[in-house]
Amino acid sequence: MEAIIILFLTGIIALFLGIFKQPKLTTVSSILGLVAAGIVQYFPLDILSDKYNILEFGDAGNAFVILALMITALIILSGDKGFQEDKSHVGDYHALLLFSLSGGIILIGFKDIFMFFLGLEILSIPLYVLAGAKRQSKESSEAAVKYFFMGAFATCILLFGVALIYGSTQSFELEKILEFTAENPVGPIFYVGLLFILASFLFKVGAAPFHFWVPDVYQGSPTVFMGYMSSVVKLVGVFAFVKFFRIAFDNVHEFWTILIAVLIAISMFIGNLSALVQTKFKRLLAYSSITNGSYALMSILYQGSVQDSSLWIFMVGYGMSVVALITISTIVNDERDEISSLKGIGYKNPLIGLVAIVALLSTSGIPPFTGFFGKLMIFSAVWVNYPWLIILALINSAIGVYIYLRLIMTILSKENSETTSKLSITILQQGVLISCLVILTFGWVFLAGWK
Amino acid sequence: MAGQLATIQGLTVDYYFILSTVLFSIGAIGLLTRKNMIVMLMCIELMLNSVNLLLVAFSSYFGTGDAQIFVFFIVVVAAAEATVGLSILIMAYRNNRNIEADLLNNLKG
Repeated sequence: MEAIIILFLTGIIALFLGIFKQPKLTTVSSILGLVAAGIVQYFPLDILSDKYNILEFGDAGNAFVILALMITALIILSGDKGFQEDKSHVGDYHALLLFSLSGGIILIGFKDIFMFFLGLEILSIPLYVLAGAKRQSKESSEAAVKYFFMGAFATCILLFGVALIYGSTQSFELEKILEFTAENPVGPIFYVGLLFILASFLFKVGAAPFHFWVPDVYQGSPTVFMGYMSSVVKLVGVFAFVKFFRIAFDNVHEFWTILIAVLIAISMFIGNLSALVQTKFKRLLAYSSITNGSYALMSILYQGSVQDSSLWIFMVGYGMSVVALITISTIVNDERDEISSLKGIGYKNPLIGLVAIVALLSTSGIPPFTGFFGKLMIFSAVWVNYPWLIILALINSAIGVYIYLRLIMTILSKENSETTSKLSITILQQGVLISCLVILTFGWVFLAGWK
Repeated sequence: MAGQLATIQGLTVDYYFILSTVLFSIGAIGLLTRKNMIVMLMCIELMLNSVNLLLVAFSSYFGTGDAQIFVFFIVVVAAAEATVGLSILIMAYRNNRNIEADLLNNLKG
C-alpha cells in the first residue's frame, strides 16, 4: 500500500520536473522512487495496512512486486538516452510508466474484484498512451489504436463476466466466491461468467485464441515500452490470472483447467511456428512472448502455484532476457528493425554479444542460466497431471532452441551489416546489460533465499 | 433465478438480464463489424453501460449495495477510457487523415 503511494507521488514529481525541463533530475527521482518503493514493500511500515486492508501481498506477492519494480527500473535506465532526446516529454514517459506500475502492484495484491478491476485499468490506460508515444509515426499510432480497442473490448468482456459471477454468487470477494461455490451448486450463469472472465484474461496476457493483436502492437510501439509490455505487464497479468482463478474458481477447477491446457498448447505452437519466419526483431520478440507467456501460464494448472517460487523464477529469467534484448535493440537503433542489422554485433562490442548470447540461451532453457530453472520447475510440477502438455512443451522448446540459435549465429557472423557502422552505448545501458548478465547467470541463487 | 417473485419496478430481474445481454451483444457485434472508429468507441460505451444496468439490477434484486458502488467505478473508468481513446483517435487521424479501421494496415508480417 505504501509502495503504491510512493510510486504515485514519484509519478507526480516526474510530471512537475518535466514541466521545468529537467530530464536528468527526472531519471534520478524516478529511480529513487522505485528503490524506495521496493524498500517499503520489503520492510513494511504498517502505517496504513492496519486500517485499509484491501490489499494483501504475502511473501510471494512481495517477491513479485520487487521483481516488477526492478525490471521497470532497468527499463527506465536502458531507455534513458531516448527519453533525454525528447526533452519536452521526458516527464510524461516516466510518470505514465510509474502510474502503470502502481496499477500493476494493485493487480498483484488484490483480494476482491473491485481492486482487481481498478488495478487492471490503472495498468492498461497509461499503456494505451505509451504505445502511441511516437506521435509522428503511422506505425505507432496504429499500434495505439489496436491496443486501445483490444484492451477496451477485453475490459467489457471482463465486466460482463464479473456481473454474471456477482449475479450467481452475490459477492465480489474472491474468498467469498470460493466459499459460495463450496456450499451451493452453481448454475450455468456462473460458468458463462467464468468463460467471459477467462476470455478477457487470455486477451490481456496474449494467449491463443486472442493473441492476434500482440505482434502488431509490439512492433508498432516504441522499443522501450514494448519491453515494459512484454515483461512487467506479462508478469503481472499471469500472476493475477493464476491468483484469480486459483482462489475464486478453485472448486470448479475441473471445468477450466483442461480448457486452459489445450489453449496453452495451441498458443505455444502459434508463437513458435510464426517466430520461425520473422525477419523483424521486435515481431520475433512478440511471438517469443506469446510462447513464453504460455509456458508461464502453465503454473495455473497445479494448486499452490501462487505461493511457490516456480512462476517467479521463470519470470526472473524471461523478464531479464527481454530487458537485455530490448536494450540491445535500442543500442542498435535500426529504424527498419531488421534482424540482419544485428549481424556481426558480437565482434563490434563483445559485451553486447555476450549479453545477447546469454539472454537467448536463457530464454531457450539451456542449463546453467536462470531461464532453465524456471522452465524445469514449472514443467516438473505440471508433469504430474498433464504429461501430454509437457511433451508438447518440450517439442516447442526444441523449436525455440533452433530459433534462438539462429539469432546467435547472426550475432556472431563474420560479415558486417551496412546499417550499424558505429554503436554508441551509454554508461547506463552498460550497467543494465551487466546486471542482466549477472542475474541471468546467477539467478538460481535467488531460489536459496525463497521463504 | 427464473420463477422468483421478487420484482424491480414491477419487472422480474430476468427482463433486466435479457435487456442488458441484448445491449451487450449489440455493442459487441457493432465493435466487430463497423469500420468507423468513432462508432466503435460508442459500441464500447454501450457495452460498459449494459454491464452497469445488469449490476444495478442484480444489486437491487439482492438488496445489497456493493454492486452499485462498483457501477460508479465503471463509470469513472469508462470516462478515462473515452478520454484516452478519443485522443488516440485524433492522433491516428492526424497521421492517416482517416478514421476507417481497415485502413490501418501498416503493421504486418
